[in-house]
Amino acid sequence: MMINRRFVLPALAVSVVALAGGLFLSQRADAVQAGAPAPAFQAVDAAGQTRSLAEFAGKTVVLEWSNDQCPYVKKHYETGNMQALQREATAQDVVWLTIVSSAPGKQGAVTEAEAQRLTTTRNAAPTAVLLDPTGAVGRLYGARTTPHMYVIAPDQALVYQGGIDDRNSADHATVQGARNYVREALTAVRAGRQPAVAAAPPYGCSIKYAG
Amino acid sequence: MGLRGFLVSIAAAFALAAPALAQPVRTQNVETELVSARAAIAPGETFTLVMRQKIRADWHTYWVNSGDSGEQTRLEWTLPAGFEAGPLLHPAPQVEVLGPIVTYVHEGEVLYPIAIRAPAGAKPGTTAKLSVYVTWLVCDEICVPEEGTFDLSVPVRAEGADDPRGAKLAAEAIAALPQSLTPLGFTLSTDGQIRVAFPQKTDEANPITDAVNAGRIRKAVYFPYSQSLIDHAAPQKVTLANGQVQVETAPSLSFNKDNVEGAGLLTAEIQDNGAWTSRAFMFGNPPGEGPLPTMVAAIWAGEAPPPSNQSGAPAAPAGGMGLLTAIALALIGGVILNVMPCVFPVLSIKALSLADAAQAGTAKRHGVIFFAGVMATFLALAGVLIALKAAGAAVGWGFQLQEPVMIAALALLFFAIGLNLIGAFEIGGGVQNVGASLAGRAGDAGAFFTGALAVIAATPCTAPLMAGALGWAATQPPAAALAVFAALGVGFAAPFTALSFAPALHKRLPKPGPWMERARQVLAFPMFGAAVWLVWVLAVQTGSMGTVALLSLFVALGFFVWAGRQGTGWRIAGAIFLIATAAIVWRPLTTVDAGARGEVAAGEEVWSPARVADLQAAGTPVFVNFTAAWCVTCKANEAVALSRPAVKQAFADNGVAYLKADWTARDSVIADALASHGRNGVPLYLYYAPGEATPVVLPQLLSEDILLDAIGRHAGAVRGDLRP
Repeated sequence: MMINRRFVLPALAVSVVALAGGLFLSQRADAVQAGAPAPAFQAVDAAGQTRSLAEFAGKTVVLEWSNDQCPYVKKHYETGNMQALQREATAQDVVWLTIVSSAPGKQGAVTEAEAQRLTTTRNAAPTAVLLDPTGAVGRLYGARTTPHMYVIAPDQALVYQGGIDDRNSADHATVQGARNYVREALTAVRAGRQPAVAAAPPYGCSIKYAG
Repeated sequence: MGLRGFLVSIAAAFALAAPALAQPVRTQNVETELVSARAAIAPGETFTLVMRQKIRADWHTYWVNSGDSGEQTRLEWTLPAGFEAGPLLHPAPQVEVLGPIVTYVHEGEVLYPIAIRAPAGAKPGTTAKLSVYVTWLVCDEICVPEEGTFDLSVPVRAEGADDPRGAKLAAEAIAALPQSLTPLGFTLSTDGQIRVAFPQKTDEANPITDAVNAGRIRKAVYFPYSQSLIDHAAPQKVTLANGQVQVETAPSLSFNKDNVEGAGLLTAEIQDNGAWTSRAFMFGNPPGEGPLPTMVAAIWAGEAPPPSNQSGAPAAPAGGMGLLTAIALALIGGVILNVMPCVFPVLSIKALSLADAAQAGTAKRHGVIFFAGVMATFLALAGVLIALKAAGAAVGWGFQLQEPVMIAALALLFFAIGLNLIGAFEIGGGVQNVGASLAGRAGDAGAFFTGALAVIAATPCTAPLMAGALGWAATQPPAAALAVFAALGVGFAAPFTALSFAPALHKRLPKPGPWMERARQVLAFPMFGAAVWLVWVLAVQTGSMGTVALLSLFVALGFFVWAGRQGTGWRIAGAIFLIATAAIVWRPLTTVDAGARGEVAAGEEVWSPARVADLQAAGTPVFVNFTAAWCVTCKANEAVALSRPAVKQAFADNGVAYLKADWTARDSVIADALASHGRNGVPLYLYYAPGEATPVVLPQLLSEDILLDAIGRHAGAVRGDLRP
């Protein structure tokens, strides 16, 4: 009996951890793997219109998770890096969707009017800004950080997911000389290739999801 | 020396004192300080700096691998020619869960050692100016990048010299680093799932294999240095087998099979002398180039033993307590016990007898014997406790009240004392021997017995002050544990023994007389009250059958006492009746009702570790009340705080699940949970804020405000959104 007890407790502890982990897993959306079909979604944009991924079939789509208060997002907007990439992409008929998954009342949450104003003041050039206050789209894609970038090929397969570049820093100076994975992926898709880097660690602030 | 000379020497003294310390820099959320372990350095020496960061409560900075978001702390050095700086060495991180996002963080005060190597050509008499620009990200829910520049000037001398504070901090920082098991290696397979096993060589003695083989390890977590190896949010499936901790988990989305790096840390709780201790083990050096502190390099190369406190702090808050602190706390706790409701009636009787003894001139003698009685009983209890623990039983302080037989015997004893006090029977002697009976008049034996009874009766009132000391004692070698228990006894017996030695007091004591008879009879009622309380405790342990059994014994005892004053025939009948009753009720009296866990009221649930894990996984805040029917402090807390309408409302408003762990009867799972928080007895109150793996331990004396504060603060800090 004594001997049994010594093993029962550790076994119990292990199973509790495993159980907790299992429950945790069941609650969290499975992140999308590069190469897999991009999950379909619908969301309302800053103009109040419902947009869906399906309507952009046949075009390359970039998803950009954003939170305008996050220092890492600021790095890319205050240096003009994000806007430049947006213009470069949309000029080549790429659809650019900026998605805000902050829950109402949390950092980065915006109303439709605020989203429109932000696009103007930041001189941004997305195709649309999608509001995802429930976090449904973010969880569907397993988006973790702002920014967290996804590139979807015209056949709606996900070809890249991760950080915008290889410089995990909020320091504005790090934009210079960074390896921009999104630009690389867009170039590869245009050339009909798979990008050399299909996934990189996303970096930045955690997304302020609804509880 | 003129005034000018004096001023110059003062200035020089400051100049000498200043260099080893850069002023702490306060940014919005962090206080940062750079301290040198050396007041002066010699050419060619490698010395240690410590970066100390004190992070605002509820905020965190990041480990080498920050996890899903966040960023590690970075340093950029500006050093004199020839000087070299090594990497920032991190203690083990904690896991922070924010919805679907998992990060590896540091909280509270963090000490990072950093090595600096001076060139052999450094000139004695010069000053080395070390400057570092540090950037870090600090987050609670939102993130703030912060930065600071730290300058440190260290004089170069022919002979180096320690800076007392810096050297102490450096030793502390190095001791807090994970223990290196790098030479033992680990195995890694990345075929589909990521599978790691620690250590690879299980034939060399090491703490992980020892703990796995002894079944004394739990809560293992793997932290790779690489951010692109594992999916940080995926569950880690831990298997303990073949002397290894094997971890299986999902790969990172950015996993790259051409660039696989499995080195990292394994953290776990390991049971050591009964207490669960948090440990961190390193497999593979952390990334970063440059020199290491000499001590660290030696330990990592296996050329020096790990620092003595490498075993880490116990997982429990009682960790930092030393023997002297525990003894001091036990002494104070012992004194306080004297005025606890459990003990007071017993001691009152003794005090009454003091008046008598003072008259007879035997007060001092009785004081000493009482002292001996207390000490003998405390040490006997401690001895039994230590022996039981050594035998592997899940017991803690208060164990003597977990046996229904013990409760029943105590209840009968209190009932008998009550009967005696009220005058239902005498143990020889008449009215003039007031205050006598069991505790007084029987002389030496009585004094000894009072001491013993007082100790037994005191158990359920174990004062909060003593919980820490006893919890600590239970995890120590027998000699230290006995010392703590002895201190408790000394504190407990001291006030009364001191009284018996105070002649001035003796003169003030009222003369024995008829008043004492009345006082004695009045004291019978607290005794009956104590008996009623013990009946209730027994009812919780054994259910209604046990209660009926005990009350039957009360009747039989009453008859026996009455019969004792009649003729011989009656006496024999009384004795037979008592023995027969005892024989009949023995079984129900000693059968612990497995279902007996106290009443679980509406809105309460029965505690289990699995239930806590379930609720935590669902993001529900959890309050756990570790209690026992025989624990007076627990009952007091329930009355003055836990059952208050405002508290119930706050629990309801915040959706807090109320779990009750009832330790009235023995329960090894509960004993284990108590031990994991450094406790050896009840009460213990835990509050798990949503998303927090570790609970807040609330004080042992609760108030409405403490509870509202704990729930309110965490509900506010956590803001619900941390839930998945």
